[in-house]
Amino acid sequence: MTMKKRNEAPAEQTEGQLTRRRLLTWLSSVGIFGSALISLVANAFFIKPRATYGQPNRFSIGKPEEFPAGTRQALDGQRVCVIREGERVCAISTTCTHLGCIVAPSETGFACPCHGSRFDQDGNVTGGPAPKALAWYKVSLAPNGELEIDKGVEVKSGTYFNV
Amino acid sequence: MARKISLSALTELPGNIWNSIFRNPLPSSDLGRAQTSFTNFFLHIHPVKVNRHTLKPWYTMGLGLITFFLFVILVFTGVLVMFYYVPSTNQAYDRMLDLRSTVAFGTFTRNMHRWAAHGMVAFVFLHMCRVFFTGAYKRPREFNWVLGIVLFLLTLFSSFTGYLLPWDQLAFWAITVGASIAGYAPVVGEQMRFLLLGDTTVGQEALLRFYVLHVAVLPLVITLLVAVHFWRIRKDGGLSRPPEAESEPGLSKETTAKVDLVEKPGEAFVTSAGKKHFGIQGLVRGPFTKVGNVPDNSVFAWPNLFMAELFVLILTIAGLCVLSLFFDAPLEEPVNITHPPNPAKAPWYFLGLQELVSYSAFWGGVGIPTIQVLLLLVVPYLDRDPRGVGRWFAGERLLANTLFLIFVIVNITLIIIGTLFRGPNWEFVSPW
Repeated sequence: MTMKKRNEAPAEQTEGQLTRRRLLTWLSSVGIFGSALISLVANAFFIKPRATYGQPNRFSIGKPEEFPAGTRQALDGQRVCVIREGERVCAISTTCTHLGCIVAPSETGFACPCHGSRFDQDGNVTGGPAPKALAWYKVSLAPNGELEIDKGVEVKSGTYFNV
Repeated sequence: MARKISLSALTELPGNIWNSIFRNPLPSSDLGRAQTSFTNFFLHIHPVKVNRHTLKPWYTMGLGLITFFLFVILVFTGVLVMFYYVPSTNQAYDRMLDLRSTVAFGTFTRNMHRWAAHGMVAFVFLHMCRVFFTGAYKRPREFNWVLGIVLFLLTLFSSFTGYLLPWDQLAFWAITVGASIAGYAPVVGEQMRFLLLGDTTVGQEALLRFYVLHVAVLPLVITLLVAVHFWRIRKDGGLSRPPEAESEPGLSKETTAKVDLVEKPGEAFVTSAGKKHFGIQGLVRGPFTKVGNVPDNSVFAWPNLFMAELFVLILTIAGLCVLSLFFDAPLEEPVNITHPPNPAKAPWYFLGLQELVSYSAFWGGVGIPTIQVLLLLVVPYLDRDPRGVGRWFAGERLLANTLFLIFVIVNITLIIIGTLFRGPNWEFVSPW
């Protein structure tokens, strides 16, 4: 019944009604803009790499004997500072928490050359714009007897590994 | 008979070729001047006639044109440099050295590219100042102002991506800092940083990504938006001008009103003053033209506008050549990812940002810049007062101009502090 009515209606009276033409226009528009939206999302997935080619998060730094008590050695390539106090070892990040520059060990702890952030011996902020303390990473002993640092696992500040 | 034809075809060959390329002879009449403007592909972005006020050198100072010409030069010199550049962390820096030592005109070409890039950032900013201080962003030109802000940001992003490509110390550390700033954006910050760098730190992936953005994506987007920007100038009624610039000086209102318009295309009409005029609607077929259809205060684009543009172009090229002859683009030491330079400074136009960032990474790098850009974008939608358009520092716009002047002075001051007054560890130093 409604079909018949629609067919009979003159053009001016179809305003606001769902004619076949309008339905098809709607469907096509949804199809085209929907595809555009989906392809946009697909592009975002394409651009986001699944594998990266940079350095691995977990790496070994050598036998514990290579780091005698009192060592405070910055490994700039790995962006980590290895500290040994007696039998305790820890690894503190040397990537500034402000904007990612490499902090350098100083007498009082660490200092960043980019925007002047300063940290104490444990990596806590003592000055400058850095918003939080330097990260501490998990240290463990690998089966081959070498110390291993995992930058993928952050530990609480003050957590040492006993060798 | 056949020989005769072929002979004349030969003798007339140069003329025929010439006429097939240029459909009109050099114009000697108003009709010709109009046709030259709109039958030539490269000229037809121009209006056939422009208001006299538009051509006043001290009104626009050609700032937008200079920006555009610098962009054209950047595309040209950029393509040249691409012939030698390799976006690889192992080769990029060596290629920069090769460009300096072995490539003919290599240093000069790189200098031109570098100084034109700095110049484009400077002139796009000056152009924005001009538009603001003359009130040119007002209705109906609001959206073109918005496009201009977007183009300004794209210019900065182009410059930023280009900065990494030489793969020297400055490049590496400026991008390390810049990418970290992106990481401070709320919610999506870390994702954005990762997408931009293609890795967690600046490396080969970042170099390749920045290269693609710099040589393909951004120039294409900028070209497209520049075209829309120019097109909008015409569709919004030409350059902004004060209302009194519309009427021809010395032509009484009575005469202007009595003009009989001719409906047929291509026919001249005669004003009651006895002067012959071509109605623009007689030349342009179509429903839409913004150029007045009565005698107004306008002149033909050929040769008035073209001469002005040519003059600005020559001035731009000359200035850039002189700069490139006397000053070499800097190239620092190759990247050493273990030793940031101290202080590590971004390019000068980001030093105001870097100065802010030294107080707070979020507010300096994300919060305040975002607020500034948003404020700039909404300016034409908040300031609806139509008075004071088309004049520098109009008295009616005292408040708006003062606010904008403060914005300009604050940003320039921050840049000067970051450039001259900051030393090792970003500590305050005196340049004297």
